[in-house]
Amino acid sequence: MRSPRKSRPFTRGAATAIALAATASLVLTSCGRDESAGADGPSEAIDEGKATGTIDVWAMGTEGDMLQDFSAAFEEANPDATVKVTAIPWDSAHNKIASAIAAGEGPDVSLIGTTWMGEFAEAGGLMATPEDLVDEADFFPGPWGSTEVGGTSYGVPWYVETRVLYYRKDLAEKAGWSEAPQTWDDLKKFATDLHDKAGVDYGISLPPGQVGSWQTMMPFAWSNGAALTNEDGTEYTIDSPEMAEALDYYTSYFKEGLTETRLLDLGELENGFADGTYGSFISGPWHTGLVEDAGVKPDQYAVAPIPGPEGSPGTSFVGGGNLAVLEDSDNADNAWKYVQWLSDPATQQDFYGEVGDLPSVQAAWDTGKLSTDPQLQIFGEQLQSAEAPPAVPTWEQVAAVIDSITEQAAKSDLSSEEAVSQMQSKASSIGTGL
Amino acid sequence: MSTVTEPRKSEGAPRPRPTKGKSGTPSRTVNPMRRQQAVAAWVLALPFMVLFLVFTAGPVLASLGMSFTDMRSTDIRSPLGVEFVGLDNFTQLISDPLFRKVTLNTLLYLLLGVPLTMGVALAVAAGLNQINRFKGFFRVGFYLPVVTSIVAVSVVWKFLLRDRGGLVNTVLDLVGIDGPGWLDSTSLALPTLVVMAVWRNFGTLMVIFLAGMQTVPREILEAAEADGAGGWARFRYITLPMLRPTLLFGAVITSIGYLQFFEEAYVMTKGGPLDSTRSVTYFTYDQFGYGNYGLASAASYLLFLAIVLLTLLQFRLLRSKD
Repeated sequence: MRSPRKSRPFTRGAATAIALAATASLVLTSCGRDESAGADGPSEAIDEGKATGTIDVWAMGTEGDMLQDFSAAFEEANPDATVKVTAIPWDSAHNKIASAIAAGEGPDVSLIGTTWMGEFAEAGGLMATPEDLVDEADFFPGPWGSTEVGGTSYGVPWYVETRVLYYRKDLAEKAGWSEAPQTWDDLKKFATDLHDKAGVDYGISLPPGQVGSWQTMMPFAWSNGAALTNEDGTEYTIDSPEMAEALDYYTSYFKEGLTETRLLDLGELENGFADGTYGSFISGPWHTGLVEDAGVKPDQYAVAPIPGPEGSPGTSFVGGGNLAVLEDSDNADNAWKYVQWLSDPATQQDFYGEVGDLPSVQAAWDTGKLSTDPQLQIFGEQLQSAEAPPAVPTWEQVAAVIDSITEQAAKSDLSSEEAVSQMQSKASSIGTGL
Repeated sequence: MSTVTEPRKSEGAPRPRPTKGKSGTPSRTVNPMRRQQAVAAWVLALPFMVLFLVFTAGPVLASLGMSFTDMRSTDIRSPLGVEFVGLDNFTQLISDPLFRKVTLNTLLYLLLGVPLTMGVALAVAAGLNQINRFKGFFRVGFYLPVVTSIVAVSVVWKFLLRDRGGLVNTVLDLVGIDGPGWLDSTSLALPTLVVMAVWRNFGTLMVIFLAGMQTVPREILEAAEADGAGGWARFRYITLPMLRPTLLFGAVITSIGYLQFFEEAYVMTKGGPLDSTRSVTYFTYDQFGYGNYGLASAASYLLFLAIVLLTLLQFRLLRSKD
């Protein structure tokens, strides 16, 4: 779906723009960076009145398509304000926002992939969230963490997604499991039983490294108490016994043949889940629709929180999208009012109804379908215990390092301790960029 | 011949009709007509020159400059603030095991791919040159992969090569061979991509070689035949030497293309398994994506340098003997 699963697009156009800027730098060279690129605290509080003027908004994916119509309610409540939404594709969004920041000419508000926050905030492109705009405690803690760069928040979580365990309920029952596994030992036993007693080829499907596999691997590490960076995001702290233990546990599934060591093709997982090749897997909310499309009946499968080492729920990955106001916005106060409106529980619930995005505000889960649907409840429960990747500019690069070394650990006899120490040394030489 | 006699003829003779016309005097001032033409030429060339300087030469030079700095994506708002780091980016690349690996992958791809592509193209062109019926049909058929979208083709091949249920392994199964996971093995993935690249690219060379073969004079071939030279001998000693410039051209464009290989790996393997199909271009793309603009520029200049050197080498090796 639309989660910022991988944001790598970088095209020649943007390279050209940046290259041009760099020529200027060489001609006029005056070396030395200005160290304080971003703000060091919240922006000043905004006034209370109604919003006015034109608010330019960029949004990607389905959100981008739906937001214009959805914003009619905001315009109705603020007759002097006009919201102009431009839908941009996820693929080119990173470039467009980067160019807008470089040029100082962009929208007032933009949807920002959670993993881009560190880079854009550090570049000085995003405005720090004004004091008292929203209450941090209203949001799920993981998503809120994704807005904080070096201790300052640069936006507001808009919608979220988190990863849970999907499993074939009918096959699990056949294997003697009437409920979902709770602990790591349970999960291992569960996968083994699905294979031995229910006849699936692979008890669970885990990605063996490569693009984005950290999103499945890191929940095990987080559940085990590992942390990727120190508190203020200035250093990577990957090399820890907790991380090594989690990696050891994760790679054991590959070594014991409980999961496949190759990358699955698009659609293979869902079809394999339907025909009993794979007994379970870990993924986000969009997979409920995908597996049902592949022919799994709603009563044949179930979701459960990710097992932790000693009990459920473990700590999952949280992704989604944040809303940020750009530093160069000429209508910043009103832009923040719009952001405030979008993060209101009632608005969030309406938006869930229109688009299906899970709300980032906890209160939005207290009423309506979100509070009654048992499947959604699992996601809500998991969101209470979920972590976002560190909001630092170099995270994508370090994530690729983790993916690549996880793959080596899963496929070769590289020990987990050695793997984790390799991750650390590469990550340290890259630095967090803050 | 005539050029030799001409100056001598005019030397002794008086200038022809020196008095005719107002501008007849021999002077160094520029003919106004010619000046007008020069101005017109510049005016006509200007749009291109401006576009070229701003959008091609400028960025090329800028990225060269960027490769000597530590510019990162977080510097975009103050590109003047970056540090000049000399050759650091280049030394860092050369000592990076991943960069070495991708260089090796790219070289392997080149060394396997270029001879294979040229060989197949030459064989098919020679075959097509012999037949008269259905020539157009075959030519179009073999050329077709070239005009397809590389991404679409890669996706289709990925399905064909699937471990379970892929067409290739299903066919192998019929004859009792248990096909491997072509794209999931560190040793097979790259050669598999080479095979696909050959299939996709040989069409261009085939057309070029075919055109080259048709310029080989029929009389020489017939003379050789009359002297008793067999088909292979005629091909080896007449057609091939005469195709030399064509072969050179083919080798150069194919090598340049193969050194930059990227899309196939991007779509089919994402550079894996274990980086076995990651190329230099892929590496550069990743570095740009991570925001390491300085390092990425340095990597692309190393690739550029490799392409220039390789092209020079090919010119030297394959240039005609005379």
